[in-house]
Amino acid sequence: MKIRVEITKEPLMAREAGRADGGIGAVVEFAGIVRRDEDGASISALHYEAYEAMAKTEMERIVGELAARFSCQAVEVVHRIGRVPVGEASITVRIEAKHRAEAFSLLTEFMNRLKQDVPIWKKVGE
Amino acid sequence: MRVLFFAQVREATRVAEGELDVADVDASALWNALLQRWPTLAAHRENTRLARNGSYAARDEIFRAGDEVALLPPVSGG
Repeated sequence: MKIRVEITKEPLMAREAGRADGGIGAVVEFAGIVRRDEDGASISALHYEAYEAMAKTEMERIVGELAARFSCQAVEVVHRIGRVPVGEASITVRIEAKHRAEAFSLLTEFMNRLKQDVPIWKKVGE
Repeated sequence: MRVLFFAQVREATRVAEGELDVADVDASALWNALLQRWPTLAAHRENTRLARNGSYAARDEIFRAGDEVALLPPVSGG
């Protein structure tokens, strides 16, 4: 395990710079990364396919449902399809919320629902 | 109706989509027509969900002539 702890006077997360409204207390960013080890085998990449139109509306529907339970200001989801090599991200999720607890809860619940209901499939590839 | 196949189901039919000449059928009758046309789907019937026009079909859904139907094996995104 690699540990790095630092204290700085410089701004963090350049993307947040200039945020004027002051209403966001937490930004949670998640990336799902393709691991080398898949079901005990060593792989070089995963191939993802999607029923794209439905996958998009299902993800929007799930986020909409969860947003009613967990108060968040913004949610961005990007799922990659096609060949995704080991070490690269297959999905990124970014959540802005007033408080971190809602953002973490929404993220966890979203990923669970994605894996149940969103028509995207992966398989081991070259 | 237009029928779309994905993942393991597409590998079973060896086509990504096909036309099926049925109208106003429930899921059970639709499956009968699907299996008649693509018998290799039989192994997937148990765990394949149906979507109609981009949404999961309800238990009592009726499938119409102009629909886009999709056969969705267990998903594995993320």
